[in-house]
Amino acid sequence: MDIQGEELLPFAPPQVWQALNDPGVLKDAIPGCEALERLEDDYRVTLMAAVGPVKARFNGKLALHNVEPLRGYTLQFEGTGGIAGFGKGMADVSIEAAEGGTRLCYGATAQVGGRLAQVGSRLVDGVARRMAAEFFSRLRQGMELQQAGGCEAKATGAAQP
Amino acid sequence: MKFAEFDYRAPSTPAEVVQLLAQRPGEAKIIAGGQSLLPTMAYRLAQPAMLVDLKGVQGLDGITPDGAVLRLGARTRWRDIEASALLATAHPLLQEAVRHVAHYQVRNRGTVGGSLAHGDPASELPCIAVTCEGELRVLGARGERRIAASEFFLGPLTTDLRDDEMILELVLPAWPRDRRWAFQEFARRAGDFALAGVAVYYDRDDGGRAGNVHIGVVGACQRPHRLAAAEAALSGRVPDAACIEEAAEAAAAEVDPPGDLQAPAAYRRALVATLLRRALREAADRSDTLSGS
Repeated sequence: MDIQGEELLPFAPPQVWQALNDPGVLKDAIPGCEALERLEDDYRVTLMAAVGPVKARFNGKLALHNVEPLRGYTLQFEGTGGIAGFGKGMADVSIEAAEGGTRLCYGATAQVGGRLAQVGSRLVDGVARRMAAEFFSRLRQGMELQQAGGCEAKATGAAQP
Repeated sequence: MKFAEFDYRAPSTPAEVVQLLAQRPGEAKIIAGGQSLLPTMAYRLAQPAMLVDLKGVQGLDGITPDGAVLRLGARTRWRDIEASALLATAHPLLQEAVRHVAHYQVRNRGTVGGSLAHGDPASELPCIAVTCEGELRVLGARGERRIAASEFFLGPLTTDLRDDEMILELVLPAWPRDRRWAFQEFARRAGDFALAGVAVYYDRDDGGRAGNVHIGVVGACQRPHRLAAAEAALSGRVPDAACIEEAAEAAAAEVDPPGDLQAPAAYRRALVATLLRRALREAADRSDTLSGS
């Protein structure tokens, strides 16, 4: 399964880069993510994939490779969902300055195996595309919130003597 | 495999159903025909803590013409639609589409509400609901609301239905008697999920030109939707061979089908064009028979 896409985020590249490396922002952006902890070079991740009546909790690892600050990275992930099966894949993420903010391009490949693939291979492609779209809309929301919070903090700071 | 353990309730009113759903948000599932939910539970991909059975709930059955609309109760089974003498004229497109639903055994149990709530992109009824501009009436803990079918299906197995809501009925606009229509779908074996399918209808003016053109896609999509470019290619024109070809090409260009083990995206795309050609020819031939009789 291959997913390609791009997204225009209304923020400057350094802000986007910071968000893409902030476990808190990532946790809120990944659909169904319950925990994202930084280990030494990678992240331990728990996520609940819920699609219609199907619910599967995945435990896995997220690792970043080819990290080029302000340019992009390759994200590698693998996880197991107990009886549901397993998932693994990688995503190339790159960012560049564009009119109106930052253009973020991604190309991901993923494999799902086990029972989930056996029963739901028909739907996996669509679900993955939907999760990717949700990730970016949440990332944008998270960044907007953070910025609003940042402004508030500054405003409060300025009001203090 | 056996199901995981769950509580079972069989209330007798819709109000009690939504109350039970609200008590266990996200953990309780409604069961009607069980043709999608039970296999998922048997694989243990779904492990709801509670099943709320609709079998004792009154007022969810029936196929009822009601002035400008046709009402289908949520518990109406495929079998009821297939066997309905009324629907042969009141909504032949719906009846034809339902004949493509899985196998006899599934059609004997599966329901209107279950199919809509499940929201499988290869299911026939969601496609008919969207193509015909249907509306869903749902009841939740906070009361009743109506949702246009075009806004109800959000993605594969994902709908706008909230955890504490149940579908009461599907409301379709009434069907004029001399409407031209066709439903075509393809699966590798009879009863399999459709690799692709199309639902088509239009009304003709005195000059034989197609108006009010509605074309919807099933299977070759993330969620059922209408094909605006194909509709535009047909609209206001006599559906001759050239016009049909244009509509088929437009349809193939505008669908965004998934690829999987069953068929790559390009194949599904080509299939949509082929099926739409067949459907439009079938609809045109049907009109000749009708006007000749």
